[in-house]
This record gives sequence, C-alpha cells and structure tokens, in this order.
Amino acid sequence: MYRKLFLIVLMLALVSIVAVQAQDEAQYAGLDMDLSGITIKMANIGGGQYEVMYDAIAVFEEATGATVEIVALLDGFSMDQKLKVDFATGAADYDVAWDHTSFVAQYTPFLLPLQDYFSEEELAPFSPAILDAATIDGNLYLIPRHADISPIHYRADLYSDEAIAAAYMDATGEELNVPSTLEQIDRQARFFVDNGHSPLGYTLAGKEEALTGRFYEMHFASGGSLFDENYEPSFNDEIGVAVAELLAGWYADGIIPSDTTSLLWDGVAQYFCNNDVAIKLEWYGWYAYFQDADSCAVAGNFGLARGFTGLSVGGDAVRPSGWAGAHAFSVPATAPNPQAGVQLIKFLASERVAYEEALLGFLPTRGDVWDRVIADASDAENPLDRERLELARIQVGEDFKTPPLIAEWIPFSNIFYPHLQAIILGDISAQEGLDAAAAETREMMADAGYY
Amino acid sequence: MAANSNSADEKGAATRFVEVSRIEAGFFPFAMISPAVLLIILVIGFPLLYSLYVSFTPYELLKPNSLNFTTARALRNYQKLLNDEIFWRSLWNTILFLAVTVNLSYALSLALSQLLARVTVGQSLLRTLLMVPMMFAPILVGFQFRWFFNANVGLVNNLLISLGLIQEQGQIAWLVDVPLGMITIIIASIWMNIPVITIILLAGTLSLPSETFEAAEVDGASGWQKFRFITFPLLAPFSYIALTIMSLDIARAFDIVRIMTDGGPARRTEMLWTYITRLAIEDTKFGLGSAMAWITVILSVLFTLYFFRQLVRARIVR
Repeated sequence: MYRKLFLIVLMLALVSIVAVQAQDEAQYAGLDMDLSGITIKMANIGGGQYEVMYDAIAVFEEATGATVEIVALLDGFSMDQKLKVDFATGAADYDVAWDHTSFVAQYTPFLLPLQDYFSEEELAPFSPAILDAATIDGNLYLIPRHADISPIHYRADLYSDEAIAAAYMDATGEELNVPSTLEQIDRQARFFVDNGHSPLGYTLAGKEEALTGRFYEMHFASGGSLFDENYEPSFNDEIGVAVAELLAGWYADGIIPSDTTSLLWDGVAQYFCNNDVAIKLEWYGWYAYFQDADSCAVAGNFGLARGFTGLSVGGDAVRPSGWAGAHAFSVPATAPNPQAGVQLIKFLASERVAYEEALLGFLPTRGDVWDRVIADASDAENPLDRERLELARIQVGEDFKTPPLIAEWIPFSNIFYPHLQAIILGDISAQEGLDAAAAETREMMADAGYY
Repeated sequence: MAANSNSADEKGAATRFVEVSRIEAGFFPFAMISPAVLLIILVIGFPLLYSLYVSFTPYELLKPNSLNFTTARALRNYQKLLNDEIFWRSLWNTILFLAVTVNLSYALSLALSQLLARVTVGQSLLRTLLMVPMMFAPILVGFQFRWFFNANVGLVNNLLISLGLIQEQGQIAWLVDVPLGMITIIIASIWMNIPVITIILLAGTLSLPSETFEAAEVDGASGWQKFRFITFPLLAPFSYIALTIMSLDIARAFDIVRIMTDGGPARRTEMLWTYITRLAIEDTKFGLGSAMAWITVILSVLFTLYFFRQLVRARIVR
C-alpha cells in the first residue's frame, strides 16, 4: 500500500518536474495545423548568420507535414529588387517573403494584411514600437524577426585616463564623461583629435541611405522632422542646417575621415575596429566583430551608451536618437497558400526560433526572448555582454524609430544624400544644399501625388 | 505558222520561267534570313520599341496603372531631363571620361603594340600576359581598384606612407577629391581596355606590307619617320575599329564606376549609366529611366556614325 502510494507520488513529482521544465523552455508556435501535401514557398534573405534560422524549418515540416521550398536567398537590397520586380509582374508566387521596416511602405499594395491571422495573444510578446512600424494605414503587414538600433560606441581608454580627463577639464571646464548629447560629442571629438589622443573623433557612413538615415537620426534627435504633416519637406529648417553644418565642420577639421563620403557600414566599422575613432554611433550588430581580438584592435577597449540627444537648437524637443529597423516576414497578396505561409511565419517568429537566433547575436523583437537572453548573459565573462543587451532592450523598446513610412523613402534618399555630401565636402553651403534638396524632393512628392 | 506559234509559246514559257525564277531568286534570300530577322525583331526590336513607348509614359514599376500613354504628358520625361542639371552633369562627366580614357588608352596601346611588334623572342608569352586584364570581369576590376585607392587601408596610400611621401594623418581621399575620383576611375578603365586595343593594333601592325618599310629604309627614313608617315596612316582602319569598339564599351562603363564611386560623392563622378540605374532601378521610375536611356542611345548612334564615316574615309585613303 505504502509502496504504491510512494510510486504514485514519485510519478506525479516526475511529471511535475518535466512539465515545469517544458514550461521553462522556449516554445515553438505554428505547429497546430495539418498542412500535409502543401508546399510553402519562401523568398528570404540569405548569407552568413541569416541562414542559421532556416535549419529549424525541418521541425516545422515534420510537425505539420508541409514542405518548405526556399525559392530565393539574396542579400537585403537584392531581395528588395526581386520583390519589386515580382510584385510588378505578378510573379510573386511564394507564400512568405522577407521584408524590412524601411522597405515595406513601397510594397503595401502587394501584401496581405496580417492582423486577422494573428490573435492579440500571439502579437503581445512583440515590441509595440516595432509592430507600430509594421503597421501602415491600420494594416499589419510584417511580423518582426530581429531588430537593430545604434548605441554610442566609445573608446574606453580615453575615458579612464586621468591625465586626459584633467586636460579636458582645463580646456572646456567640464568633466570628461561618456557623451549623451550631440554637442558633447562635438566638443569631446574635437578635443581628442586636437590633442592627439585619437586620429579621428567620430565616424559615420557617408553615402546612400546610410547617410540619409544618419542625418534623419541627428535631425530627429534635435527635435526636427524630415517632412511636415502635409509631407512638405521640412529638413531644410534651422535644425537641419545646424546638423548639416556640424557634419561639414567635422569634415573640414578632420574630425571624421577624409573618405567619409565613400564609406558604408563596413568601412566605418573598420575605422573603429582599428582603434582610430574616439566616439561613434554604431549598430549593435557589429558587437561580435569589435570584440574579436584577432580582427580588431579595439576589442576589450570600448563601451556602449544610449544614443545621443540632439543639438540644443531644437530646444525642448530634443530626444534620444533611435534610427532603427527590423527584418521581418510578410505574405504576398498573390501567395497560393496564405494560411500555410502564416503558419510558417508563426513558427519562425516563435519564442523558440527567435531565441535560437538571438543566441547568434541578433537583437530580438519579443519580450520573452529578451528575458531569456539577458538571463543567459548574467554569468558572461565580459560584463559588457549583459550591459549591451540591457541597453539594447531599452533602446528597442523606447527609442525605436523608423524613417517615414512612405513608398518614396529610397527615391527621397537618392535625391537627398548627394546634396548632403556636397555640403559635407564644402561644395555648397548647408542652407543652399538643403534648399536644393527640398525643392527636388517637393517635385518628386508632387509627382507621386502627395499634393 | 504552227512552228512559229510553238516557238512563241516556248519563248513565252521561258520568259515566264525566267521571271518566276527571278522572283524566287529575289524571295529566296529573304526567306533564308527571315528566321534570324524575326528573332532579332523579337529579341531586340520589340524591347527597344517597348522601352521607347515606356519613355513617353510616367511608368513606375510598383505603380502598374502608371503605364498609360497620354498625349498631354508624352514628352514630360524628356522635358524633365533636358531641364535636369544632374543629367547634363552626368552627360558632361561621361564625355570627359570617354574622351580622356579613349585617347589615353589608344596612345598607350599604340605604343605597346609597336614595342611588341619589335620583340623577336617571347612575343607570344608577352601577348598572353598582356591579355590577363581581359580575363577579369569589370566588376572585379572595380573592386580591385577601389581597394588600391581606399584612403584607410588602400595599397596606394600605404605605399606613399611607406615611402614617406605622405603622413599617416594626411591620407589622400582618392575616391573623393576632385579630380582624383575621376582620375582613379579612368586609370582602372584604361587598365582594363589596353589589352584588347593593343592586340588589334598589333595585328594591324604585323599585317602591314614590308616592302613599304624597306623602300623607306632605302630612302634613309628614321624610325620615327617610318612610324609617323607609314605605320600610323596605314593603321588608320585598325585604329578606327579599335576606337569605335573602345568608345562604345567605355561609354557603357557601369560596373567599374558603380563599384568604385557609384557616381559620387556629391555626383562628382556621376555618369549617364549610373544615373539611369538610379532613376530606373533604385527609384523604379522606368519611364524617366527609359527616356534617358533613349537619349543616350541616340547620342551613341550619332557617335558611331561619325566614327564609321571616318573609317570609310581612312580605307579610301589607304
């Protein structure tokens, strides 16, 4: 009798332990539908770490009976070109497509609104700011995969040297702390260069959408807006001129590299990697590269801080910078099996798959995954690993800001950035350059039917 | 009479036969080339005409309804381009790039071909080595020279620093500064074009009649005089063919410019084809991009006609 009772209690205890452990494990989603005989086609971003996630698809196929066929694996800009051509020609015969918050506005007529396919409970774990960026005219077009945003990166040795701090105090009358405003960055970057502490004070990508985005970010942080409520260009205001003059001054004085206007993300990262830059705003995605002592001289010698607030010319409207974006999944309106595509998205965006991808270094878009990765990092050898995640969670949650969600974002950028380059290189004054860009932008927006 | 009548019938039949044969003979060649003509119409003619039609519409790739022709706005794209400062700047940059690259490539190729023609040992090895740049895809040449001229980690700046010609802090922004950006693209383009032109000119030089040179030697002509008054004029047909091929090839130079500077910074190296790509592919403005492509094609055709006229004239002189 006692023996039977003991066995029952033991079994109950084991079942409870297994249940608790199962509950504690990140869970898959989207496996609750029989999709036998259905082939789900997916056009996705490829290359390096992006493709690791697709290994999990075998679990989905086994559980649902579906077959997943990946019909494209291209880099982001090539995917953008493919989607445009496929949508325009009606050739988007796939059920799931890679997407991005910066690109989605141009595709909306060709995408399936997803709000009816996802319950509130299913959407609850995702960052509200990112879901907002994925919603246009009340329709949810994207389910986020992972995000990125930029904190300040600074060379730690410059801020731990008492002699440098004392010299800075003598020169400026203020303590040398990690900067939190654009004006502090300006003062410190100039001080470090002028006194030979660092070859360069700051760096930023200087062409294409990367430059437009960085200007947008500085302008936004200073209280400005690229367009007013009627989509009239407003970047040539006092704030825009101040930001453009700041960049031109940095270039003229050698604070930023002489080849700034030919740099994209990799070139900018290379300068910081070489330990040649005092301060910069940089995407979290480069963290592992910077911490690799075999590749980068700056490994172990940098810290992170929240994005700067803008120039004081913006008065009370200054706010933290936060140009951000998220990789995501969408369903083309021409998808042969939209419901099956949605199931695959539920699986790929599930806590379990998102957690596995976050372990590779990508920033998650789900609160539950944030909890897990931060807990995992609590016993990391380098305390910056945890600080980074905590800081990133704050920025993604509070500062996440996409460019204007208009289909003309890239055409606008192609008009804008050459003018800003001309300003930076000293070919034209800030006001003249921004006015010229505003006039061209207005013509483009008028052609697009905004007014 | 009957004999006469028969003879007339036979004559008439023979005449008809000859006429039919003439018609068949006239029709036959056309019948033979018609598959090729049809193929060309389908593959080249139709897309060309379609892009001409598109150039008169406001078509944008992601706005299918914009592919509609209206008389009122038919010429809008062309008007817009003619008033577009960037279009004129990219046209000027293309002409400048073309003029400098073609002339320098030609001069260097001519010199190289004359030197190669005089090599008696290992000429085939030298010719093979000369053709190495032709084996590179233009996109790779672009990447290669972009790295050479990179301000931070580039070969050229590091070489200059090692030689003590510039300071580490004074790195030259080759791909940014005026006129260095254009010069670097021209250097890359010349590097890629020299082999094919040299081979054409070398073939021309080796085919020249030796009697003329022997007669000149008997008359006591110097090496320079032989080149100036015999080789150079006799090479004219080869030169025009080489220049025409090179001009059209360089005018379409896209990969190298795209990779090295992408038309920048601040449109300092913008060329017609980078601008067309920006308008048509990146901004998806197919109508505007097609209009610009057509303007470019017309300019290229005029350019080619001029060169062919010169070529014919050179042959007559020869």
